[in-house]
Amino acid sequence: MSGEAFSLPAASIGGFIQDPSNANPNPKPNANPAKKKRNLPGTPDPDAEVIALSPKTLMATNRFICEICKKGFQRDQNLQLHRRGHNLPWKLRQRTNKEVRKKVYICPEKTCVHHDPSRALGDLTGIKKHFSRKHGEKKWKCEKCSKKYAVQSDWKAHSKTCGTREYKCDCGTLFSRKDSFITHRAFCDALAEESARLTSVAATSLNFRNDTVNLPHGFAGRGVQDVAGIPQFGSGFPQDFSGMPAPGLPEMVQMAPANLFGSSSHFPGFENGGATSSNSNNLSLSQLPQGLKEEGRNEGNLMESLSSLYSDNQNKQSKANASPMSATALLQKAAQMGSTRSNPSFFGNSFGVMSSSSSHTAPTFMASSSASMSATSNNLDKLMLQTGGKPSEPSLLSMHHPGSNSFAQSLTRDFLGMSNDQSPRPFLPQELAKYAAIGSTMGLSQFTSSNH
Amino acid sequence: MMSLSPSLGSSYPWLKELKSEERGLYLIHLLLTCANHVATGSLENANIALEQISELASPDGDTMQRIAAYFTEALADRILKTWPGLHKAINSTRVVDLVSEQALVRRLFFEVFPFLKAAFLLVNQAIIEAMEGEKVVHVIDLDAAEPMQWIALIRGLSARPEGPPHLRITGIHVRKEVLDQMGHRLSEEAEKLDIPFQFNPVVGELEDLDVERLHVKTGEAVAISSVLRLHSLLASDDEPLRKKLPLALKNSNGIHLQRALQMSQNTLGELLEKDTVNGYSPSPDSASSSPLSSPVSPKVDTFLTALRGLLPKLVVITEQDSNHNGSTLMERLLESLHSYAALFDCLESTVSRASSERLKLEKMLFGNEIKNIISCEGAERKERHEKLEKWIQRLDSAGFCNVPLSYYGMLQAKTLLQGYNCNGYKMKGENGCVMICWQDRPMFSVSAWRCRNSL
Repeated sequence: MSGEAFSLPAASIGGFIQDPSNANPNPKPNANPAKKKRNLPGTPDPDAEVIALSPKTLMATNRFICEICKKGFQRDQNLQLHRRGHNLPWKLRQRTNKEVRKKVYICPEKTCVHHDPSRALGDLTGIKKHFSRKHGEKKWKCEKCSKKYAVQSDWKAHSKTCGTREYKCDCGTLFSRKDSFITHRAFCDALAEESARLTSVAATSLNFRNDTVNLPHGFAGRGVQDVAGIPQFGSGFPQDFSGMPAPGLPEMVQMAPANLFGSSSHFPGFENGGATSSNSNNLSLSQLPQGLKEEGRNEGNLMESLSSLYSDNQNKQSKANASPMSATALLQKAAQMGSTRSNPSFFGNSFGVMSSSSSHTAPTFMASSSASMSATSNNLDKLMLQTGGKPSEPSLLSMHHPGSNSFAQSLTRDFLGMSNDQSPRPFLPQELAKYAAIGSTMGLSQFTSSNH
Repeated sequence: MMSLSPSLGSSYPWLKELKSEERGLYLIHLLLTCANHVATGSLENANIALEQISELASPDGDTMQRIAAYFTEALADRILKTWPGLHKAINSTRVVDLVSEQALVRRLFFEVFPFLKAAFLLVNQAIIEAMEGEKVVHVIDLDAAEPMQWIALIRGLSARPEGPPHLRITGIHVRKEVLDQMGHRLSEEAEKLDIPFQFNPVVGELEDLDVERLHVKTGEAVAISSVLRLHSLLASDDEPLRKKLPLALKNSNGIHLQRALQMSQNTLGELLEKDTVNGYSPSPDSASSSPLSSPVSPKVDTFLTALRGLLPKLVVITEQDSNHNGSTLMERLLESLHSYAALFDCLESTVSRASSERLKLEKMLFGNEIKNIISCEGAERKERHEKLEKWIQRLDSAGFCNVPLSYYGMLQAKTLLQGYNCNGYKMKGENGCVMICWQDRPMFSVSAWRCRNSL
């Protein structure tokens, strides 16, 4: 049979489109060099022919009718095959109209949006499905979940996936859809409690760079999920986003932006904490996480092992005390030290009063600053000027006295340039340590109180 | 002139023996002391403090050392401005940042931190939801430098169940090359996804923008996005007096200082117009009632009103959430110490100390911001970050009302932050707005708005 032996009877409403998604009459749309721009669905080509079918005709199963014997066929090809049997003269075998005009269809239901010719749909199969879905009776029912469908293909598609994937949150709720599961989980109370419990342990540790502390925490949340029996999630929550295919549009929308930002290119030499693909980079920083990973999947007592790990780390850290404090922690410490002093004596007036190395009374000038000057910088300036303006009282200051009252004063003297002749002062390290331990900020607290 | 102290070398050998924590605490003390001296004009004392800090601070050291390095540079810059001639001379051969360097730093900020990415997710989702059902969407980017945001939006819009709209993006930026690059990339992406798309570049300073140039057409749905840009519109010459300069004259050390200060007072005359008792000029137009509120900024209010005149369907504002717009140096110093401590901590936790990219970020991005906050005043001081509550007030008075951010968008952002495999990043929602935090400290805020009493 030659390709051009299609003939469309004038009255026929036969479909000519092989590929329903592309309304291009050209049988090989991909070969078309000028790629046609797709219109918005429901915004048809203005010079297309609008076809209005009655519901009966639309739903008719045999819409390809042989003009000779009036037999009905579901498919145009079948009709053509049948017509060959009638031994038609050659010219009637051909298509009557070489040039095929694009056809668009409107929904017969008057209340429907697509009833208007300006919102007609370009595909006959499409309009049929639309009509069934929206205005038809739902005759197909899923066995497992009793969900009903009007179009058989929808029903088939659903049955394939129904019950095959189930997501269970720790709070016990079941989900069939990944996106609703994820939405729920992010805001689920049960999960929040779990992670809060772990975060409180982690928060007391000041060292964020310590990977052994980091990883368990990061894993904990995932470990919990694993324990709850969701094997497909593995150990990396965001990893799954990139790994899973996107069956539905909502998922695509959800994943695409996350992926876009998550998997953007990395700079070499970066220990980038981000992105799905760089998870392994961080994991490789220490051997521990790998072990944890396995543990998490296999053992139910992941939580216990993690907690013990945590406490071990904490103990180690407090013993060693070698981990660097974060700048934020330093600022907080400085603020605390500035605010816990309560001796009201002024620096300028009470040199003699200041006692020795006891940690809570020595830097009373600090205390005075915080106690007496609550908010205005006016007073602070005064103090600064006081300290700055007493170059001629060297008698009050004694040098080299470890832990003496003059320790703090002489320190300040140095900082604030009270004496112009700066003899290099060999400060004993322990003096300085005490200094650091007992406080160093002039009323830092007064400024920080409102800043947090 | 100020007596130049001889370079003392290391006359503080004991400083080197300090351990990390002690050194950090000491640095904080020194910074505050120094800043106070600068604020009061006791430059001799400030100099001594700077001397000591220089021994301890280092851009390659630990977090506190790095922070201190940039803060002291900023303080030194500020002091130097007291002698404008000297300041100009010392900067006369400085090479201005190349476009490529700026672009690199921007890119680094985008890649290394999740802040921008999370913000983009929130902004884009807000736009997608607001534009549901719209056939023609016009997005205006007040500082169009990062194409990734709009690429993501294009993809998001193309996946709409109802199909993509006709999309126009107008980008505003000072540099034409940046806009060209952006236009190219976006058009490419839209072409791939078969979306009708137009990119309109608008070259120029945002401060001088005439909204007519945005070519907003009737019938199109407008969304405006501002990412870390709006705060510069708060810059104005109406600065309250830098406090305590007169007090410095009492300093017994400073007879020569007095002379210097008098000289500087003349040259800085324009900055010291409003000399009030309390050190600030309360403006009757200011919406805020707190005495230490930022000075009135008609520029930003006019701008917001102009934007409202375009009747946008949505305005999304992403801003740093810190108060770096205090009227006095000390306020700004303290607040910024905390904010940048958080950012530097964040880098410390996520990037190695040896990384040159980290150094670039610290120096060219944060260092420059710190310098601007600390050493500049008046119209020159552009990094006027403010807390979300202030922005809320401003937008409210300009005729906007809040649109709570999408739950779905927040979910995406939260997932992204969790995916960074670092516990520090957190997110919290507040009155429909979102704060992206490092540990407990909010760093950035995202909020969405629509015109009040609009149809």
